[in-house]
Amino acid sequence: MKLSELQVGQEAVVVRVRGDAFLKRRLCDMGIIKGEKVKVEHVAPLGDPIEVVVKNTRLSLRRSEADQIEVEVGGE
Amino acid sequence: MSDREIVIAFVGNPNVGKTALINAISGAELKVGNWPGVTVEKKEAIFTYKGRRFRLVDLPGIYSLSPYTLEEKISQEFLLDGRPDVVVNVLDSTNLERNLYLTTQLADLGLPAVLVLNMWDEFQAKGYSLDLRMFEGVMGVPCVPTAATKGMGVSQILDAVLDALQERRVLRVVRFDEVVEEELERIEEMLRDIECPYPLRWSSVKLLEKDHFFIEKLQEKIEYELPPWIDESRRKIERYYNEDVDTVLAVQRHGYINGLLKEVLKKPVQRRIELTSVVDNILLNRVVGLPIFLLLVYLMFKVTFDGSAPFVDWLDGFFNGFVAKWLGYLFFKLGLPGWVNSLVIGGVLQGVGLVLSFVPLMLLLYIFMSFLEESGYMARAAFLMDRIMHAVGLHGKSFIPLVIGFGCNVPAILATRALENERDRKLTALLIPFMSCGARLPIYALFAGVFFTKHRAEVVFSMYLLGMLISLIVGFILRRTVFSGEAPPFIMELPPYRIPTFKMLWRSTWLRTKAFIKKAGTVIVAAMVILWVFLNVPFGAPPEKTILGRVSSAISVLFVPAGFGRDWRPVAALIPGTAAKEIIVGALGQLYGVAGKDEENYSHPGSFVKDLKEQAEGFVGAFKEAFRLIFASLGSQALSVEEEESSVASAIKKSFTPLSAFSYMVFCLLWMPCVATLGMFYKEFGWSMVGLSVLLTTSVPWLVSTVIYTVGRLLGYS
Repeated sequence: MKLSELQVGQEAVVVRVRGDAFLKRRLCDMGIIKGEKVKVEHVAPLGDPIEVVVKNTRLSLRRSEADQIEVEVGGE
Repeated sequence: MSDREIVIAFVGNPNVGKTALINAISGAELKVGNWPGVTVEKKEAIFTYKGRRFRLVDLPGIYSLSPYTLEEKISQEFLLDGRPDVVVNVLDSTNLERNLYLTTQLADLGLPAVLVLNMWDEFQAKGYSLDLRMFEGVMGVPCVPTAATKGMGVSQILDAVLDALQERRVLRVVRFDEVVEEELERIEEMLRDIECPYPLRWSSVKLLEKDHFFIEKLQEKIEYELPPWIDESRRKIERYYNEDVDTVLAVQRHGYINGLLKEVLKKPVQRRIELTSVVDNILLNRVVGLPIFLLLVYLMFKVTFDGSAPFVDWLDGFFNGFVAKWLGYLFFKLGLPGWVNSLVIGGVLQGVGLVLSFVPLMLLLYIFMSFLEESGYMARAAFLMDRIMHAVGLHGKSFIPLVIGFGCNVPAILATRALENERDRKLTALLIPFMSCGARLPIYALFAGVFFTKHRAEVVFSMYLLGMLISLIVGFILRRTVFSGEAPPFIMELPPYRIPTFKMLWRSTWLRTKAFIKKAGTVIVAAMVILWVFLNVPFGAPPEKTILGRVSSAISVLFVPAGFGRDWRPVAALIPGTAAKEIIVGALGQLYGVAGKDEENYSHPGSFVKDLKEQAEGFVGAFKEAFRLIFASLGSQALSVEEEESSVASAIKKSFTPLSAFSYMVFCLLWMPCVATLGMFYKEFGWSMVGLSVLLTTSVPWLVSTVIYTVGRLLGYS
């Protein structure tokens, strides 16, 4: 499933990151890589962007970017 | 080498306290300049310690040394070509997991380095502990725990720097898997053969990544073609891991950090509930988050403009009343010709007064902006507003500068600094002049009072709405033309909340205000002198015989389609309006010959001491007035309508129809920003952006006014 499909408070593990080189590199640099735990912390009042916690860091991602991140719930 | 200056590059993630650290070390104020060719700030401090000269360079905050953002390119450029002797990598101790990622990239440079573990107090308070000796051993360089805001540990940094330099202590390089290292070795060998002028490890990693910024840089230095077998190397790695090279390297760097931290870092057993989470549950709440944000913006707007208004008024009176009077008296006594008096007082002094009258406004605004920025709230504001702003191709952080534009465009352009992305920043700045600032209100008040007596409020309000609408349309068009290209991803850190110290806020505020006075000030004063020439040459001639009169008579035909070109005087009033928009009202008065030129009488100047005392009393009174305005009134003074004298009103009644008056109001709304705003454009972005802004704010008002006038005529209005 996609990171953008997670509910607020839900945790998951990153399976794969898609997107163009820039987006991918950015996400990698911020620690969104395969095997990393991510958690959706907040959703903006208007539904976009979302706040994701990864590696003890809070990141704001637009839904279109979160769409590119494939995650798995409950799987380690 | 002992008498050579030691250059220290400060590198680190955003929000780790680099600038506070440099301030704490050098004790001196940082000098702010721009990096050559770009507008990202370059901050430097020079000072002496133990008989050695140090130059501290504060590089922009970055998460990585990839070639994708301006900040990253600048940092890479300086690290490679700026010849730093030592790299000081500042880390947020409470978030080593992410901060050390950049460190692993810096290691490839092979430069002497020091690791500064900043926010050590917070780190300890959170219950973390670190085996410092072991950490130092693994990293290979001196590590200094600090708390920059409290001054803790700061004095040890320079000794550590000297130590790292003398012992040539460099960061230990992260080894990748054998599969990757094999390819890197091959590249390194090739680079050695062609005598690569940059560190070999760094260069080989960058070539493997196909970092286009670095490759271009290398090709500038040496005759060199990227060998085709590098693609083969990349494919080999990608096949092996079933991932692209960037990801493979990033995963392995992160893996190394995880392993290291497992050894040296002890996390608290029980995770305490973090303050940031609690605060965010309120401030980012889906129901109250936006209202709280809007309330904060309103408060900021109100305090900034109401709090500064009495000081702006006082400065205005001080220069145009007090200084102008006594300077005029001095000139009169010296027997200087009238035009000298007029040039110095009407040109230079008014320009200086204009520049300085912005100082109270900018000080207040910047304290607010710094607070929002340093506390971590600015990122939340962007988070809340991004959906709306993104719809028109802007960024969540564009909202605040645009709102500030309703008070005054000058500080609004300054406020675009909150946007990291250069393109978003320029685009936002270009739209600010369409935000109807407080100075335009007297124009609306005059015309609405004469032509739209029954619907005054609605007509004035429509100006604000129209300004916003036009800015959205222009923004939409610019995004698809001049500023086209894919939108950068909106990956923004929401940093933990921190309470900024007053010292920190004051430093950045004063530094920027000083830079404004210096850089924009010269442009503004020069422009005021040029404007004076326009209005007064030949000296003493009636308005229609001056350069202004002749030029506006010649060009007024251009404004016939917009409805107010049959008379040269409305056109002429627009030109002095570039000094400050509210001048348009006064200029109309003068051009229609109703307000006689007030001749100063210098024969009985009164008592100098008494005047001086009055000024001092006025200054003290301004404090009282500022407090009264901030706390007593609910509405903002910046938006209050002042009544204008009726003599101008009756004069313009003959020259305009309601429709052409409306068209003229719209034109004034969108027309060229004042000299101070253009000066700010110059200071922040350089001449090309001044040109672009002038182009936009001359073509757009003409088009819009013409459309309004034409459509109005077709609908049967006159």
